[in-house]
Amino acid sequence: MEMEKPKVAFFSFTCCEGCQLMVLSCEDELPDILKLVNIVNFREAMTEKSDDYDIAFVEGSISRKEEIKKIKKIRNNAKIVVALGACSSTGGLNCLKNRFPMEDVKMSVYGKEAETNYNVNDTIPARPIDSIIHVDYYIHGCPIPKKEFLNVFTSLLLGKRPDIPNQPVCVECKMAGNICVFEKGMSCLGPVTRAGCDAICVSYGAMCWGCRGYVDNPNTQSHGETLKKYGLTVESVIRKFSLYGKCKPEGK
Amino acid sequence: MDNKKYAFITEKDFKGLVTGLIKEYKVFGTIKKDGFPAFAGITSFDELELFQSPTHLSAKEFLFPQRETLLKFNIQNKTHEPVIESGEQVIIGMHSCDIHALTLMDRVFAAGTPDPNYLSRRAKTIIIGTECFPDKFCFCKSVGTMTVEEGFDIFLHKLKKGFLVRTGSVKGEEILSRLTKSRPAAFKEIKEVEALQKVKEGSFITTLDAPAEELPGIYEKSDNSPVWDRIGAICYGCGSCNHVCPTCYCFDIKDEVKANLKEGERVRVWDGCMVEDFAKVAGDHNFRGLRANRLKHRFNRKFRYLTGKFDALFCVGCGRCSRTCLVNINIAEITNELIREHNKK
Repeated sequence: MEMEKPKVAFFSFTCCEGCQLMVLSCEDELPDILKLVNIVNFREAMTEKSDDYDIAFVEGSISRKEEIKKIKKIRNNAKIVVALGACSSTGGLNCLKNRFPMEDVKMSVYGKEAETNYNVNDTIPARPIDSIIHVDYYIHGCPIPKKEFLNVFTSLLLGKRPDIPNQPVCVECKMAGNICVFEKGMSCLGPVTRAGCDAICVSYGAMCWGCRGYVDNPNTQSHGETLKKYGLTVESVIRKFSLYGKCKPEGK
Repeated sequence: MDNKKYAFITEKDFKGLVTGLIKEYKVFGTIKKDGFPAFAGITSFDELELFQSPTHLSAKEFLFPQRETLLKFNIQNKTHEPVIESGEQVIIGMHSCDIHALTLMDRVFAAGTPDPNYLSRRAKTIIIGTECFPDKFCFCKSVGTMTVEEGFDIFLHKLKKGFLVRTGSVKGEEILSRLTKSRPAAFKEIKEVEALQKVKEGSFITTLDAPAEELPGIYEKSDNSPVWDRIGAICYGCGSCNHVCPTCYCFDIKDEVKANLKEGERVRVWDGCMVEDFAKVAGDHNFRGLRANRLKHRFNRKFRYLTGKFDALFCVGCGRCSRTCLVNINIAEITNELIREHNKK
């Protein structure tokens, strides 16, 4: 007997929708995926909408009051909720605004319109979706790696627990044969950041900005000491590394 | 030194040897990467640079890749076929510590159920070793790996002019006679190498303060040492030490299924005992949840646990883990601390 295909929905909150584009760029796999599931919601790719779905992939952070209601509704409708990408799983870049009073943020972005436009007026400090609802699985990264999406996707369909990396980026950096960023006179968040990206930034000559969030138990105290040892002041470190790390100081 | 074992080749011969090997084999050699010695595939003699200090990563990846497919399966047809990917290859520039490590890996992968993937690759690999000189992290002299007598096909000792050559296999002899105009070494060339060895022996900045054979016993009595908690507090659990180590051979096995949910591959990837999830089992129980316990485990694997099984230390003194550690956990210093504690008792 043919089983009914699982219904899958994609949602976006405050984000650039780049992670959904990563899903759409799985061009070799999409025909297979469409044979296995029905996609019922995917603003980036289709106009139809439905409230009847089994798995919800949610991109973006929660940064407006109205989004709190919406994300709760998604949790009610879905059997499984997967956070898709950094904004959703850790709060992401959007949390940069949390350093300032919301009134100042509104004014600096929208000027006078901030007072009249409801959507703008509704702004709250940005946060990951798991600060509002329970999240079953996380796909990390800014943007997500394709292979991680495919791994979580196939695991869920097979009824397996997805294998989500919990080791620092150093592991993949060593495997890539990279010389340590610190040895090159730069600084890096790799030692406390969750791997899964194949250390792509360091492999291309940059440093790790921590877009995938911390490992489960990061040694942040040690990392502070390391940064100091390499001549960085606390202030410069905070400025440099608050790009992705403002919402969740530790864990997840 | 017995002069029958030694040959001499010129610089020109060496170039001819490397160039000839590149024509016939996939060749990995030492190059400079971001200012540090590293192994990489080379396609011309000019890319090769011989170094005195160890490479950033060891050469283990050419025999035990970071990721390899072990079998391909089809869920629908319930079929599977093993995959063994290996090809003829040459590794140039391995130092004596790394060749010792290689012989240990050979024993590990041949023990129990022999590992066909590793052994197939090993059988097709030609090892060309080169002489080295200790930096401040090297301590091979203290663990008996400063010189090497087996595990290589050809070993080169750089002289003021040319190289003194030792061969360690029939294959090595064949290559040497085919690709170079080697001649038996002269007495003074052998003397030159012996003199260099003496200088090398006296140049170690790092040494262990106990003989190698006493180390397993010292580690056996160190389980309750305060050392573990102290270094556990600063360790990241980043696994860098595992991945640069030439004798860390642990791996994870994963089944990766394609998006059609029909076909898939079973892959083997490097794993390391220093990362948090290494000893995590079903139900999320973690046998070594604390970094201190993981460090104690790793150090004991090198100096105690495996010595019982293979009758050899599994630390070859290359110093890579100490060199790479961001928080300066130094395996030789820690071992010396344990030796001091042991001597006080």
